[in-house]
Amino acid sequence: MTPTHMNIMLAFTISLLGMLTYRSHLVASLLCLEGMMMSLFIMATLIASNTHFPLVNIMPIILLVFAACETAVGLALLISISNTYGLDYVHNLNLLQC
Amino acid sequence: MAYILFTLSVLLVMGFVGFSSKPSPIYGGLALTVSGVVGCVIVLNCGGGYMGLMMFLVYLGGMMVVFGYTTAMAIEEYPETWGSGLEVLGGLLVGLMMEVMLVLWVLSLNEAVVVVVGFSDTGDWVIFEGEGSGLIRGDSIGAGALYDYGRWLVVVAGWTLFVGVYVVIEIVRGN
Repeated sequence: MTPTHMNIMLAFTISLLGMLTYRSHLVASLLCLEGMMMSLFIMATLIASNTHFPLVNIMPIILLVFAACETAVGLALLISISNTYGLDYVHNLNLLQC
Repeated sequence: MAYILFTLSVLLVMGFVGFSSKPSPIYGGLALTVSGVVGCVIVLNCGGGYMGLMMFLVYLGGMMVVFGYTTAMAIEEYPETWGSGLEVLGGLLVGLMMEVMLVLWVLSLNEAVVVVVGFSDTGDWVIFEGEGSGLIRGDSIGAGALYDYGRWLVVVAGWTLFVGVYVVIEIVRGN
């Protein structure tokens, strides 16, 4: 592991922290989820190149496919929230509030 | 030029801090696009031309475009950028300060940094071209093996995408 790998793992952790904290918009958390997927893709591709094991390149491609599915479903939920409330503010999601 | 890979990974972390500090999502999308470009150049530096271009096409060209016009539907009148408001600016500055101090500390050490894995300072990665077979790139061969050894995986992924589109239609339908 080089400090480059440490930086990429740090980027993943920063995106994770960004996804878990809510400010006002919901789509900002979806963007941080995309950042997590991207850092995982970069990490897997670097490991596939560093260890000279080309078959590992299958894993980032499949990861990208399922990340695209996940993005689509997340954006569809965002659209349905935006159709109901007008904007995607997080404080609008208060149906379960006691 | 010797530390180009490490510098690019530092720029990647700074780009990630840019959208993790949660500005308005249109600026977050801009920071994610810039981070995607830096990440693609990192992948290219390690000899992964096919994977870098696939990330450009599928990720930046596909998913970021969808994010862009979905965000344009759900945007407010005055989107807050990194300079407006103390929360976003504070998060950005804390993240950048953390990264700069971490980089200075790692570069000043002589032995390895051990968190869970030992991050030894083995320097950057130089592409080693063996003799012969210089036309066979490793990453495109590996991606081509997806359709050979991973036939069933391709079928499952394709079916997942199809069902995903159906799920999206059902969600957006509403009632």
